[in-house]
This record gives sequence, structure tokens and C-alpha cells, in this order.
Amino acid sequence: MLAICKEVKILSVDVGNYLLYVDRVTKFFGYGLLGLRKFKALDEVSLSLPLQEPRLFVLIGETGSGKTTLLRIILRMIEPDMGSVYYKSKNVFKLRSSEVKWYRREVQAIFQDPYETFNPLRTIDSYLFDVSKYLLSIGKKEAEALVDETLRFVGLSLDRVKGKRIREFSGGELQRISIARAILTRPSLLLADEPVSMLDASLRVNILNIFKDVRDKLKTSVIYVTHDLATAYYVGDEMAVLYRGVLVESGSIEYVYNDPLHPYTQLLLNSILEPDINIKDRVKPIKLSSIEIKEFLTPGCKFANRCPYVTPKCNKEAPPLIRVNGKRAVRCWLYTTSSNT
Amino acid sequence: MPEKHLEKDAILKVVNVDGGYVIRYGGRPVKFIHAVDNVSLELYPNRIVGIAGESGCGKSTLAKIIYGAIEPPLEVKQGSVLLKVSEEYEDLLKADRAYVAKEIWWKVISYIPQNSMNVLNPMKKIRDSFIETFKFHGMAVDKKEVTKYISEVFSTFGVPVDAINAYPHQLSGGMRQRIVISLSLLFDPKIVLADEPTTAVDVVTQLGILTSLKEWQREKKSSMIIVSHDMGVHAYMDDEVVIMYAGNIVERGEAEDVFNDPLHPYTKILISSLIKKGEKTIKKGIAGSPPDLSNPPPGCRFHPRCPFAMDICRREKPPSIEVEKSRFVACWLYAKR
Repeated sequence: MLAICKEVKILSVDVGNYLLYVDRVTKFFGYGLLGLRKFKALDEVSLSLPLQEPRLFVLIGETGSGKTTLLRIILRMIEPDMGSVYYKSKNVFKLRSSEVKWYRREVQAIFQDPYETFNPLRTIDSYLFDVSKYLLSIGKKEAEALVDETLRFVGLSLDRVKGKRIREFSGGELQRISIARAILTRPSLLLADEPVSMLDASLRVNILNIFKDVRDKLKTSVIYVTHDLATAYYVGDEMAVLYRGVLVESGSIEYVYNDPLHPYTQLLLNSILEPDINIKDRVKPIKLSSIEIKEFLTPGCKFANRCPYVTPKCNKEAPPLIRVNGKRAVRCWLYTTSSNT
Repeated sequence: MPEKHLEKDAILKVVNVDGGYVIRYGGRPVKFIHAVDNVSLELYPNRIVGIAGESGCGKSTLAKIIYGAIEPPLEVKQGSVLLKVSEEYEDLLKADRAYVAKEIWWKVISYIPQNSMNVLNPMKKIRDSFIETFKFHGMAVDKKEVTKYISEVFSTFGVPVDAINAYPHQLSGGMRQRIVISLSLLFDPKIVLADEPTTAVDVVTQLGILTSLKEWQREKKSSMIIVSHDMGVHAYMDDEVVIMYAGNIVERGEAEDVFNDPLHPYTKILISSLIKKGEKTIKKGIAGSPPDLSNPPPGCRFHPRCPFAMDICRREKPPSIEVEKSRFVACWLYAKR
């Protein structure tokens, strides 16, 4: 196993082959008194989505792992301190003002809490018509047909939604409307930040099925952010695991899920509480991190404090990203070849 | 043996409880949201009972009523919550509130809330929160002894001892939740009522917290009621599971039976819609959405979404039918006619 591992070399890539190419993005946040001291909320995170074929990319991580920060950077809501994001060969932070509108049409997002996404005083359909007016610049008749078609795609209809406000919908329906609003512009990339964590179990699967439809029928790539590994495997093609701002493992979901390499991914997988009464033997949980900021500031591997396989080296030096079998990458000293260690 | 617990007396009996929220406008009641509709259940010693259901099905309201924490707009129309205190049953809903707060809460029945940040005083160190609790319950406190006692409790739940000198904001969410749990188990209560104890924490922390809770329960032989929407939590923790839908208990039984052989159509769809580890086949959720509790549908409240709905379901409310010993289902499909 170790013999086939080799160090990832930083290559100058041709971003033209990618729909999205996130290149070593780093973001600092302040903490302490007046936020004068800094820690890395994202530490050289890279990921990519191919141009040719739509993919469902899952970003996994716990609270404070930096997954929402990464999404915000992709959405141009915050700028990274280092690194850049390329979308269809264009650096998204250097777009001309005319291209910003194009980018808004191409990249759309849906958020965790459907009740907070919409203004309770406005009617729901006004959101959908605003998108068609400002981003698509189409007439009313055309917009109505498009809105109805899109709502039917998510299992609703314009008649069902028209003139109603959020209190008249359930959480599941609102999340469907959020998806409809996002896919109205027929984007090439949809970002979903924990879209099902607020919903009940019986409704979750319906929403996840819509994501599969979005990928297969609309040919839209989706980045699905979650901490729930069971649903991640259900929908995902590829996945990346973030821990304290560092990408610790990534690759095809079949590989990462069925044979996790990084100790943190192994821990996450073992911690899933399955809705299956017949599973009795579970792994013993390992110790909790007490103070998060200490983990962010450590010079070595961020997971060293909790890792069952920790070595003195892990505390001193941050491990490099190691490509295994050419299909996946892991950031752990356990998988370096003897020449590297 | 599943029936073994029935030989003992129940330590808690909830009898025909009917309650909900009264919405007032200008002082006059205008709407009644019927969140808990004629619910009965029993809790036996050394058992974990889980209350499962979707949001808005009344599970948290039921927990509040069981705990006796009834404050407007919540009102209880009828029924009683009988708690066994020193060989006699006391009705928590009729007892004096000051007496319940001092003698029953924490000592006999204790409550673990969902969000720990709302419970710990942000201006006080963890140690002071503990000392205050001791004082309120009339216990003599020696500072050194308290520290020793707290560190013992903390070690069961994997909290580092130096956390007692910290303010709540200095600790991570998982750590705070563990502290709140150790605080509520301070006096070894006979019943612990946990309302979504791990919803606000991550998966890794969740497993840790639930495992320590279960170990504590097995050691002290206390009973526990766990309210959660997460069926994974119920599969891991429960001896008995109660499924609620729109304010009614639709099914009740040993956790193993309910998970392996669900009877009520709602439970059946709910369990088949759950995504298990390593599954990729397309699944189906429940169509439609839960009813408005201020104006619930007549008859069985699940009938508008039920694939097996019959005429009688639309007209009459199904009774709770005991299909086997201590296995109940409220569905006309199982009525003997």
C-alpha cells in the first residue's frame, strides 16, 4: 500500500478543463481581544469539478471545519487572503462588472434553514419572479411558464405557490421552493449548505432525490455540504473531508466511504448512528476536543490531539497531501513513503 | 425477556393527557393548537423510552407536560401525570409548583435541554452554576468538597476538570452539552427526561454523549425518556419506542419490534425512508406534509397521507389497539371487526 503512494506535486493546471477550480484558498479570521490575533479558518484548500460531466460533490465536516467559509468564497461573498477560485477559466474575484451578473446566473446557492431564507411579509412567488426579471431579463408571460415548469420539477406548481407567504408552507415545501429559486436560472453549479439538516427524516430523502434529478436532468453540478455521511453516500459521486480548515481526505465517494484512509474520516464513519436496531456493537467514541482554537493554531496535524495513531512527528509538522492510487488524496503521515518520512 | 419490566410498578404514568397552546388576541382565546391529544404511557424502572416523530408532532410538548413545566400559552385540558415518589403516586400537574421545583425536579425527575447555551449563565463560571444548584436544593456546600464531587461527575462524561473554572463561552458546544448533562444528573434522579439532547452537536460528539448517558443509566438503573426526531438515536438508545404523529401516539412497543416489524402505515413509511450506511438505491419519503394542529383532519390524523386510508379512517379516530402484550397501534387496519 505504502509503495504506491507518492507526494503530490504542485503543478500548474490548465483551468480550462474545469468547471470550478479552487486553488489553494486560505482565509484568516481574527480572534481574541478585538480580533487582533489571527488563525487560519481555511488552510490551502484545493478542489475541482470537471467541465464535461456534472458531478455531485460532497463536502463533509463538523461545525467549525470551514465548509461554509469555503462556500462563501466560491459565492464571492468573502474574498480569500491567498489563493483563487476559477470558474469556467475565469478568476471569480477578477470578474468585470458585466460578468458578475453572468456569474450569479451560473452559480446559485441554497441554505440550511428554509424559514430564514424568505421574508415572512413577502409572497413566495415574488422571489421567483424577481430572479426571472433581474437575472434572466425575461417578460412576464415567459417568466410564468418558466417558474411553473421549475416548480413542477421540484414537485410543486405555480398555482400551489402563488400569493402565499412562508407560514403557509411546511419546511420541506419551503426547501423545495428554495431549490426552485436556485435552479430557475439553470445554473451550471449549485451550492447547497446543509439543505436537509433542518428537515424531518421522512422528508429528507425527497429533497435528496431532487438533487439527483438536478444532476441527471439539468446537468448541473452540485456541491452538497453536510456533516451527515449516510446521506452523503446516498447522493454523492465525490467527496472531500474538511477538519479545522484543512482538507484531510478527498476522492471518489466509493473509495473514501468504503475504505477511509485518514483517521478522522474513519472516526466520522464509525460515529454514524444508524437507524438500524440490529447493530449493537459500535466503536468506543474517542476523546472530544475541548478548546477549538488550540487545534487551529497547532503547527502540526490539526487532528493529532485526538488521533489514536499519533506520532511525535504529527505534533510538529503538518502532513502533506498524498495522492493514493491516483484517484484519491489523504493528508496524513501514515501514508507517506519511507523516502518522505 | 421483554415482559420482565411489567412485573414491577410503573414509576411514571401519563394518563389521558390532553394539552396544547392557546393563542390569545386581546386577552381572548382565538385558537387552540391541539399538540397533545389524549396520550397515555407508562415508564418502568431501568428502561429507556424514546419518543419519536417529526417536528410539530407534539413530542416536546408532551415532554414539557411530563416534566410539569406548564406555562402559558401551554395549557393542559385534562389528564394526569402520576409520578411515584416514595411508594405513592403524586400528580405533578396538581402539585404545588414551589414544592415540585424544590423536591421533585432534579432529585426525582431531571431534564436535559436541547441547547446548552441557553441554560448556563454566561456571566458565571461553571463551578458557580454547580454551587448554586446545590444551594437551591438545600444542601450544605463546602467548596473543596464540591470541586472533588464535580470532578468525579465530570470524569464519567469525559469533561476535563479544568473546565469548572471556565466561562461557558470558552468551551466548545459538545463540552457545554456534556456539562449540562452532568449537572442534570447531579442528584442521581430516578427519571431523566432528555429533549433532543444531541441535536445541536456533531456526529462524533453525539456518539460520545449518548454512550456516556447509556452507561450512566445502566449503572444507576434509572429510567430515561428520550425525545428525538433522529431515528438513529432511538435505534441506539431505546428499549421501548413511542411513535407520535400530529399529537397522537400512533405506535408503541419494544424498540426491536417497532424497527423490525412496524405496524402503523406512518411508521412503515418512516422506517423505510431512512437512509442507512452505504445505501444508494432510490428511496421514497412520505408525500404531503403534517396537518395543521389548530384544525386537524377528522378521524385518523394521518389519513390524508396514508396509502391504506379507508372510509372509516376519514370519519372516526382509531382506538389504541393492543396487538400483542405491550405493543400498541392506533390504526383501523388492526381493529377486529
